[in-house]
Amino acid sequence: MAQPENATSAAQSGPYDWIGSSVPKVDALDKALGITQYVGDMQMPGMLHARIRWSGVPHAIIRGIDTSEAVKVPGVRAVLTAGDIPGINRYGLAVQDQRVLADDKVRTAADPVALVAADTEQAAEEAITKIKLDLEPLRPILSIEDALDPTAPSIHESGNLFTRTTVRKGDLDQGVKESDVIVEETYRTHLMDHMAMETESSLAYMDPTGVLTIITSTQYPYRDRRQIAPALNLSMNKVRVVQAPIGGGFGRKDDITSEIHAGLLALKTQRPVRLVYTRRDSLIANTKRHPMLMKFRTGARSDGRLTFVDADIYGDTGAYLSLGAFVIKKAGIHACGPYDVPNIRVDTHTLYTNNLSSGAMRGFGVLQAAVAHESQMDQLAHRLGISPIDIRLINTLKPGLATGTGQVMDEGCGIEATVLRIKEYMESHDLRFTRS
Amino acid sequence: MEHYSLKINGHVYETGAEPFESLLDVLREKLRLTGSKKGCDEGECGSCTVLLDGKPVLSCILMVSDVRDREVLTVEGLPQGGEPHPIQVEMTERGGIQCGYCTPGIIMSAYALLQENPRPSEDEIRFAIAGNICRCTGYSKIVEALQAAAGTPIR
Repeated sequence: MAQPENATSAAQSGPYDWIGSSVPKVDALDKALGITQYVGDMQMPGMLHARIRWSGVPHAIIRGIDTSEAVKVPGVRAVLTAGDIPGINRYGLAVQDQRVLADDKVRTAADPVALVAADTEQAAEEAITKIKLDLEPLRPILSIEDALDPTAPSIHESGNLFTRTTVRKGDLDQGVKESDVIVEETYRTHLMDHMAMETESSLAYMDPTGVLTIITSTQYPYRDRRQIAPALNLSMNKVRVVQAPIGGGFGRKDDITSEIHAGLLALKTQRPVRLVYTRRDSLIANTKRHPMLMKFRTGARSDGRLTFVDADIYGDTGAYLSLGAFVIKKAGIHACGPYDVPNIRVDTHTLYTNNLSSGAMRGFGVLQAAVAHESQMDQLAHRLGISPIDIRLINTLKPGLATGTGQVMDEGCGIEATVLRIKEYMESHDLRFTRS
Repeated sequence: MEHYSLKINGHVYETGAEPFESLLDVLREKLRLTGSKKGCDEGECGSCTVLLDGKPVLSCILMVSDVRDREVLTVEGLPQGGEPHPIQVEMTERGGIQCGYCTPGIIMSAYALLQENPRPSEDEIRFAIAGNICRCTGYSKIVEALQAAAGTPIR
């Protein structure tokens, strides 16, 4: 079994002794000394700097892109648009619904429409401001309600509802009949940026054997390569993706970010190209946490025992799916929280909009669901006159009980012990729930 | 392009730069002192913190023309005789570092604090690093590491 090189002395007395002890991260000292090289710290001889021109409008037909003034900026080496892409102008983690550079339409204000590589960041920045876009605005789909409107224009080829998932357990009607109290509420959660301290960044260059090498701040080099090679019309063995030290990802560096753009510019200029997103670029582009609209109906008996959960969860994945369908499905799987619910109907709906696209973010849909199911628990407790702690203890999953999707809990199920610890702490510190 | 002679970490560096270039860009791109990080480039995140005449400053919003004849200290200047500074050691050993991107800025803010106040309270430590954003740790391990570096009791 592999051990860290600098495992503490405890490791020497037995192969498992270091489990449970604190072992310094192998790369931590280099980070403390400031010698770790993140992508933005790297330079290469002849290296160019890149910038991206974003569309700036949420939904529009592209009539034309005029780059004639941009190419005249001193120091500019390349200005590229969709027509310059040598391969297939499509990529995506789950489905290929993203364009490397927007071609027919603009589907979100964060669509990249043109790339610039220049001798300096300042020249590249100046050049992107001189690119003129001729856009014919379309009706934008900016909310979950917009996306559900049957008269709304379709953002992609096949409608704005990407997919629907269901969770079913027991008999919902029976659960409703057995209820002494029913709480019905609608919850909304907002879009959120991961805000990793390091912005998205790639350094691409042709190596001496003709392999396009991309050093990048990524969570997943192999999946990146699978998306880069077809877009650049290169065979897989002519693309090498090197995972650099990553200054925070939290899910968003699962997706392609700067990789294909940097690679395309390096391929076209035959020069090393470094693309480091500004913080503004990072906030505009790439995936966020999904905003969700959650309509919940939850019932309980007078003794606090849950009787049913009946819910619809609508997730706004923005203009591109990324991993949206999986995140939103997971919100549905977790819609009942860590509680034993006998009767369940939960539907999830993954919707395209012209908003910024959302994808993986730590928690992966579970947090949004928690906003709804925990708020429902508090409301039920209030209506029944039971303490919020006790209603949870009455309903927690325990070994032998099953989740809504049929997973039977074993001895590793710790929610009851956790809630009991909270109860003990609150009682010993004289903390109480108060509600006006 | 003007010529600058900059005093950094006890050495004199000669470089050409535009007067409006940020100290951070000059450090990173011209002098290749890349320990100071660029997280926001607008004075919000603290990743670029360096010391100017002993005081912590944000090098991304400081023009290089403003640091003539002044002493700059970056994270690269902390080790003495090849040995990491105690703050660097404690941050490493006490889980104060995950992705590491905020780390140099945190360390420089903490160093400035300990120069002024060698035995800070937990509140004083938290106040000193309030301008340094960390997205990984939740700060607790950082505070513990800085308490250890100061030799003050850890909660």
